[in-house]
Amino acid sequence: MTALRQAGLILLIALGLAGVTAAVHPKRPSFLAPPRDPNEVTLAETKQWAEKVLWVDARSASEFASGHVPDAVCLNFENWSEEFPKFLDLYTPGQRVVVYCSATSCQLSREIAAKLKASGVDGAYFLEGGWEAWKQQNRQ
Amino acid sequence: MSAVTQPVSSRPILRATRCVLRVLIAALFLFAAVTKLFDPSSFAQQIANYQLTPWPATAALSVFLPALELCVGICLLLGRWESGALVWVAILLAIFSGALLSAIVRGLSIDCGCFGRSVENTGTLWPLIRNLALLAVTGFLWFSRKNK
Repeated sequence: MTALRQAGLILLIALGLAGVTAAVHPKRPSFLAPPRDPNEVTLAETKQWAEKVLWVDARSASEFASGHVPDAVCLNFENWSEEFPKFLDLYTPGQRVVVYCSATSCQLSREIAAKLKASGVDGAYFLEGGWEAWKQQNRQ
Repeated sequence: MSAVTQPVSSRPILRATRCVLRVLIAALFLFAAVTKLFDPSSFAQQIANYQLTPWPATAALSVFLPALELCVGICLLLGRWESGALVWVAILLAIFSGALLSAIVRGLSIDCGCFGRSVENTGTLWPLIRNLALLAVTGFLWFSRKNK
């Protein structure tokens, strides 16, 4: 049997297996829309929280310098070792922390929120729409 | 037949090397498939992090890629339909390498997702180097086949 014929048969079997996975797997993904991450919050949701939110800006220092959410802390992978202790000084255990990056397309906020959770900050969330969403809603 | 003209697959040391490398690639693909098949939703999110495909295609890939990796891994492990499996190994490694390279070029700070959530914080550069090394191994396996 030629290599291409074998490859075709492997493809057919894989498609069958993928079909079964898509139909019956308990953790199959939704094909219509991505599931909402439980750690993702909208700006409207953060405004409903009674206590003061600690904002974390996951963008670069230069982007932070050109504009950020008031009282936000600049914390990203590059400055983590220097800035994380300073973040802990401002953080009150149990407080909600919301991380943001540039816009919906960036993943940094999600990753920094996950790193914060792994570091013991249980109430770490990331902002849907990031800095762009915050700017839009606070333009007036 | 002299050693020079002998086919690679008929020389014992090279045949053993070939067998070890074939099983190594099979094991890697099987491990990658099983870890992703445990949680396709989570793998879909990892694919989405690359920002290369719309969500429906991402969801489809999250169930198709592990299935293909599983089939390829089984074929290589059993030594059946090896040529066809090697075609898919080369195609998959080339696609994965392209995706990793594009993530590096775009400055995306994401995890490879090569082995689902079982191996995390690998970044993108080392997986790219590993994939290129595996492509070289695949090339060796392809050109040293007994029945070309």
